[in-house]
Amino acid sequence: MTDGTPLTDARPRALRLLPTGRSRRARYTAILFVLPAFTAYAVFVLAPLIMSLYYSTLRWDGIGKARFTGLANYVTVLTDPDLLSIIGNAFELVLYFTVIPVLLGLAVASAIRGHMAGTFGTLTRTVLFLPQVIPLVAAGIAWSWMFASTGLVNQMLTAVGLADWTRGWLGDFDFALPAVGIIGAWVLLGLCTMLLVTGITKIDPSLYEAARLDGARPWHEFRYVTLPGLRQEIGVCVTVTVISALASFDIVYIATGGGPGITTMVPGLEIYRLAFAHRQVGLASALAIVLMVLVLIAITPVQWYAREKK
Amino acid sequence: MTAAKPKTWLARLLLALLMTVTLLPFLSMFTAALAPSGSYPNGLSWPADPQWSNFARAFEAANMGQLVLSSTLIVLGVVPVSVLAATMAGYGLAKLTGGRNRWIYLVFVAGLTLPFEAVITPLYYEVRAFGLLNTRFAIILPLIGLYMPFSVYWMRAHFLNVPNDLTEAAQLDGATRWKEFWLVQVPLARPAIMSLTILLFLWTWNQFLLPVVLVKDPSRRTMAGALGAFQGQWGTDVPLLCAGSLLILAPTVLLFLAFQRHFVAALLQGSVKG
Amino acid sequence: MAGLKLQDVRKNFGAVEVIKGVDLEVEHGEFVVFVGPSGCGKSTLLRMIAGLEETTSGRLEIGDRLVNDVEPRDRGVAMVFQSYALYPHMTVYDNVGFGLKLAGTPKAVRDAKIRAAARVLQMEHLLDRKPAQLSGGQRQRVAIGRAIVREPDVFLFDEPLSNLDAALRVDMRMELARLHTDLGATMVYVTHDQVEAMTLADKIVVLEGGIVQQVGSPLDLYNRPANLFVAGFIGSPKMNFLAVTVDSVTDDAIRLASPLLAAPAVAAPRSWMLPGDRLTLGIRPHALLLDDTGPIGGEVTLVERLGNETIVRIRLDAATEVTAALAGQRDVALGAAARLGLAPDDAHLFDNDGRRL
Ligand SMILES: Nc1ncnc2c1ncn2[C@@H]1O[C@H](COP(=O)(O)OP(=O)(O)O)[C@@H](O)[C@H]1O
Ligand SMILES: [Mg+2]
Repeated sequence: MTDGTPLTDARPRALRLLPTGRSRRARYTAILFVLPAFTAYAVFVLAPLIMSLYYSTLRWDGIGKARFTGLANYVTVLTDPDLLSIIGNAFELVLYFTVIPVLLGLAVASAIRGHMAGTFGTLTRTVLFLPQVIPLVAAGIAWSWMFASTGLVNQMLTAVGLADWTRGWLGDFDFALPAVGIIGAWVLLGLCTMLLVTGITKIDPSLYEAARLDGARPWHEFRYVTLPGLRQEIGVCVTVTVISALASFDIVYIATGGGPGITTMVPGLEIYRLAFAHRQVGLASALAIVLMVLVLIAITPVQWYAREKK
Repeated sequence: MTAAKPKTWLARLLLALLMTVTLLPFLSMFTAALAPSGSYPNGLSWPADPQWSNFARAFEAANMGQLVLSSTLIVLGVVPVSVLAATMAGYGLAKLTGGRNRWIYLVFVAGLTLPFEAVITPLYYEVRAFGLLNTRFAIILPLIGLYMPFSVYWMRAHFLNVPNDLTEAAQLDGATRWKEFWLVQVPLARPAIMSLTILLFLWTWNQFLLPVVLVKDPSRRTMAGALGAFQGQWGTDVPLLCAGSLLILAPTVLLFLAFQRHFVAALLQGSVKG
Repeated sequence: MAGLKLQDVRKNFGAVEVIKGVDLEVEHGEFVVFVGPSGCGKSTLLRMIAGLEETTSGRLEIGDRLVNDVEPRDRGVAMVFQSYALYPHMTVYDNVGFGLKLAGTPKAVRDAKIRAAARVLQMEHLLDRKPAQLSGGQRQRVAIGRAIVREPDVFLFDEPLSNLDAALRVDMRMELARLHTDLGATMVYVTHDQVEAMTLADKIVVLEGGIVQQVGSPLDLYNRPANLFVAGFIGSPKMNFLAVTVDSVTDDAIRLASPLLAAPAVAAPRSWMLPGDRLTLGIRPHALLLDDTGPIGGEVTLVERLGNETIVRIRLDAATEVTAALAGQRDVALGAAARLGLAPDDAHLFDNDGRRL
């Protein structure tokens, strides 16, 4: 009673029953439901990720004794001109993988706004999704053939009188990387287009009518109605395509193997080469971690952009 | 809307153009596949004497029967287990855990953008330590783990949209969490499960990196992995390579055409991770 | 046989205390209604009884059994949700029978019980449908059917009628009352609608801010509201409140004065009152009568003729209006002056803390 609580208010206060058996049981149940997924994730993603971090501090050929080298591998990744140009290649691929599909997709989506019903729509959807269904490797093979010296690309150039321009595209030091980029653009174009077309049908048509009443030109409609309305879809397109550009492997492996020289070498393939052909596990792991971080850095602003409105 | 008329026309033209660009590589491969074996065909030209037998030869050379079997086994190993585990975890994370355990979900989501290349090296040593190198389990087990971030994210998003009332009604009806999961939640989650199944099927069937690194024998790889080996072996014989590639991509394309609507829906929704 | 006993029951969401110590006893077979404005904690309290929310502290007994630590499924309660919460993938038959199936009831018994419930609720023809094929009222019946087949000790209802249109709501209200008589089970019913509370309840619990304001029979609450909140909440149109000062106290009357009043009002006497005390005078609209010498006078600003009664609003000053519900069809003109009076017994008085005197 030192705090002066009046005696009359000294009710037996609160039979506290916490933590109850119920909440404990509920927690066990939750754990049991999540456990299988978490185990698989921990064993085959988290553990390797930690090992990657660990390997990246070693100088190790994968067989003999490993030597701790601290951050030396990271220094190599970030200073070696070859590795830097390989990372540069990945970012150059973003130009093709991301910019072409998103811009073309936007153009198509705003042109065909809402005209995707019926048989024609179904046909379009089916065809445009084909590249998403086949293995990337198959896309790589198909386009290797397209870009071959007797392939369709050269055939068409010859047909329009540009025979001088023909070449073995994937073996050309200047054009191999753009050619690889085109393959990625081809794969992702349909997906982006469909995402944006679907997104645009969700924009309230009365917004366009209101804009037109306000005297908006087509460009204004695009700028002030379509673009803001597609924010989320554009975010998804950019995210997906940027990841597939930075982490590309299948297409490059099949189409060029990184050549000629290292003009089309990308981090994904270089990790594979370093770890399993050159037996530089430490360096490969450092590059892997750098790649992971680069993807995160590239994606984060996109996520912000896409979310801002919500 | 009278103004829509010319626009429809323009739109169709644009789409037709897009479709042509999409289909050309397939057409070009198809005509090349019919050229005489070992010859150097031209980009897009119907051969004078179509060699349909190339497909039969490619079927032999690629060991197609074995490949389909192998891919099917791998898909059967990956997809049901992943879907079940992810559905359970999605339910657990959406309905059974509150704010304090949100970090578990965040740990899962952190893996969403992880490139497989970032963990492939340690995975190799891990799989080797398990003694699974060159077996199908070398592909199956890691894939289950690698697909978890997306799968859990996907299923949790579904379960978040199921009204809590249903859960509570089931609790009051006398259901244990396990019963509620199977009798109420899973039947309601069927569309989400269906989409996830399609996506995981495609990604597994087309998986390339893991088979290339972890399994040497093409007959124990996925279709895509085997295609890599096939190219290595027959890369100089364009007609045969084209015929083989077409055969190898045929199963998914046929399935896709058969279930067009479901696939498109799944791919559109699932492209959060491509 | 199960009553219900709550002892100093409290609930926190994080740091916010939402239920602030509720004590309540419910007899077996009673129909209890929790009523109060939106957000006052009715649903939370009901869900604590169901076991869907944990009790932060206090004792919760159902039929003499402490159930704080008992799972919802083992509490012997059934609940009807505002959203109905029917399983969309099951037919009505399976929805109603789900609980029995989980309990392992033999098929034949289950079938008999489902059909009996369907008969009681007149929904035998709906048994093969899915919830999506039902109207709101039909869904409500299914939800109730699902509750009654399980023969629970306690029925819990969370605003079960608020998604129905007005006419259907009146029908279902009567049906619920009939069901209560037929089953004789304990029912706890949550609503924000005081008319529902008045018509259905044996006992009303008025909640506000997580605190029980008053517990009593509907007429108790109407005739003797414990405080200003209850007085204002129960009864329609709302009770009129006027700030007054005690003018004089005699053995058989209290005279109340106010600048708003044309003449002093007279109230029946009660204890502890001294001239000069400041009080709140509460008058139900139905207690007011046209009276040329009455204390309340002013300009008529509103007349609503309902046939059986006439609602009149009178302005006393710029900020104060008084509503009267006059029996029958009265000849009152908008804009005219009118005087109203009341019987001394109809004056409710509240002290400065809002408590009834
Ligand atoms: N899960 C919850 N988390 C935090 N606050 C809640 C939660 N549920 C209810 N509340 C709060 O508790 C109070 C009472 O809610 P509720 O019982 O639903 O009110 P009523 O049913 O009377 O309208 C409200 O202020 C509400 O915001
Ligand atoms: Mg409520």
